[in-house]
Amino acid sequence: MIGLDHVRKVFPGAGGPAVGDLSFEIPEGEIVTLIGPSGCGKSTTLRMINRLIEPTSGTVTVAGTDVMQRKPNELRLGIGYVIQQVGLFPHRTIARNVATVPELLGWDRARIDARVGELLELVGLDADFGDRYPGELSGGQQQRVGVARALAADPPVLLMDEPFGAVDPIVRARLQDELLVLQKELHKTIVFVTHDIDEAIRLGDRMAVLNVGGVLEQYGPPTEVLADPANDFVLRFIGAERGLKRLSLLPVSSAELDPGPVVSSATPIAEARRIMADHHVDWVAVVDDGRVAGWVDGAQFNGQASVAETEVRPFALTLRKDDTLREALDTLITSPTRVAVVVDEDQRYLGMLDVAGIGEGVS
Amino acid sequence: MTGFGLDQFEVNLFDRATTVLAQADEPIVRWKWIGDHTAEIRTALVQHLELTLIAVVVGFVLSMLLSLLILRFRVTFAPINAITGVLYAIPSLALFVLLVPITGLTTLTAEIALVSYTLQILVRSIVAGVDGVSPAVRDAAAGMGYTRGQRLWRVEMPLALPVIMSGLRIATVTTVGLVPIAGLLGSDQGGLGQLIFDGLNRFFNTPLIVGAVLTVLLAVVLDVLLVQLEHLLTPWTRATRKARKAQRRRASRAAATNPATKAATNPATNAAAT
Repeated sequence: MIGLDHVRKVFPGAGGPAVGDLSFEIPEGEIVTLIGPSGCGKSTTLRMINRLIEPTSGTVTVAGTDVMQRKPNELRLGIGYVIQQVGLFPHRTIARNVATVPELLGWDRARIDARVGELLELVGLDADFGDRYPGELSGGQQQRVGVARALAADPPVLLMDEPFGAVDPIVRARLQDELLVLQKELHKTIVFVTHDIDEAIRLGDRMAVLNVGGVLEQYGPPTEVLADPANDFVLRFIGAERGLKRLSLLPVSSAELDPGPVVSSATPIAEARRIMADHHVDWVAVVDDGRVAGWVDGAQFNGQASVAETEVRPFALTLRKDDTLREALDTLITSPTRVAVVVDEDQRYLGMLDVAGIGEGVS
Repeated sequence: MTGFGLDQFEVNLFDRATTVLAQADEPIVRWKWIGDHTAEIRTALVQHLELTLIAVVVGFVLSMLLSLLILRFRVTFAPINAITGVLYAIPSLALFVLLVPITGLTTLTAEIALVSYTLQILVRSIVAGVDGVSPAVRDAAAGMGYTRGQRLWRVEMPLALPVIMSGLRIATVTTVGLVPIAGLLGSDQGGLGQLIFDGLNRFFNTPLIVGAVLTVLLAVVLDVLLVQLEHLLTPWTRATRKARKAQRRRASRAAATNPATKAATNPATNAAAT
């Protein structure tokens, strides 16, 4: 979809090239995050895609066409652009800001109005925001408008230059979630520049780790980069908690679930004791009709006939298959049973994970 | 007189005015004279307004052209600024004297001088206004797909309006004040200046005062009208100011009621709260 072929950019008067010799391809419908230290040319690379910066040599293609063969403004009308400082037009209402590209494309009034309403809803803003001016909105709200404006004419490609870099961590996390939800629906080709490694890992279908001078050190899915850093630079850049970062990318379903020490309410105590011994634990999970009732501490067993007569305590947290292994790890270390129980949408018991199980999921 | 003897001339003018106004046997204003000369006064006022408006409109158009040249080719800024600066610095009287041999004792002479005084302030305010547009807005506009021209007229100029309008106000008020000097070009010139010079020539202070007071009033009225015009053209500046004020109020209230929450009043966390 987007291709860079031996792209080089030297700014006049600069010591070395901003981007030396960069080649890689960005597949259609994926989010690719560009990450690296300052001076690595990540923003320069992004801006060469919509010709805000023109390469010194090499070619950049969008949908198979060399961008230098196209008129800059026509090229950009088909590429959404979101920047850190948002850059909303202060003299226009929110609705007119969002309508920027449709107006340039000459859509009729009714179609523009309908589209603006649709987009404000899409990015989670009330319709009455349309009449306000950018100066009246908070930073997070402004950035939502920035995203809506970029999406207005439904461009296949979206360029985002540290779009969430200027908002506080809570809003940033929310905006990241929203972007992922949007992307599930829209399937845009998104190039996302960030200096936040967690953001790059979280959002990217692939991540491109760049070194000073636009040197591509590693390019691949975040799980792959985390599991197998190409060199010391990437390793150092990923930083601490590489394993935990990977866990946060892997779903519970990637690990094999253990049936675990399970009994039903009707199970006799003697049988329950035997199951505990088999599993080398001092508790059992109680599952009735496929649903998790809770767990029983083995220390309670004292002459009762069956499990039903003991005190069944509920699991504080249960997981779904699409939760991450990081959440599973968090659940199990806070649970007295040291396991994380996994259920389906109907709360039916699927199995459980312990530390060993999570470890196998990662390997 | 040496050279044009302008300084001497202006001192004489001032002495003359002082003498006229200091006449003990003359009332400050003869109301009857005003009643008898309303037609003349109205004509002078209308001419004053005409001379001012023509000068400001022509000056604005010329300044806009010069500014477009500067915005397109930065190297032209220094020479244009130097030339308009010299024009601005020439005493008005001297400029009239220099122009009379070429254009005669005409309205054209008056307008050339008046227009040349507006250029410096207008060119500077247009260029400063456009330069003041935030780089992020410029970058976003280019990234959205505006051509250079679209960006200038649909984004940069509208955002430069507050600065341009303040330049226009100064240029207008200055021109109103300069028009009377064109009265030196002849008894049918200079708008309200006719009345002022009439008063000076005849040692008669009523027309002098009427001319001066109306000149001031005209300047004030035009300035107020321009403020109103700016108000109409830039609704966003008020909305933004109001929002900022409300934000500050909320912040200080929160800080006042509970000093511990002070940290929560910085803009970043405000954003999180909304």
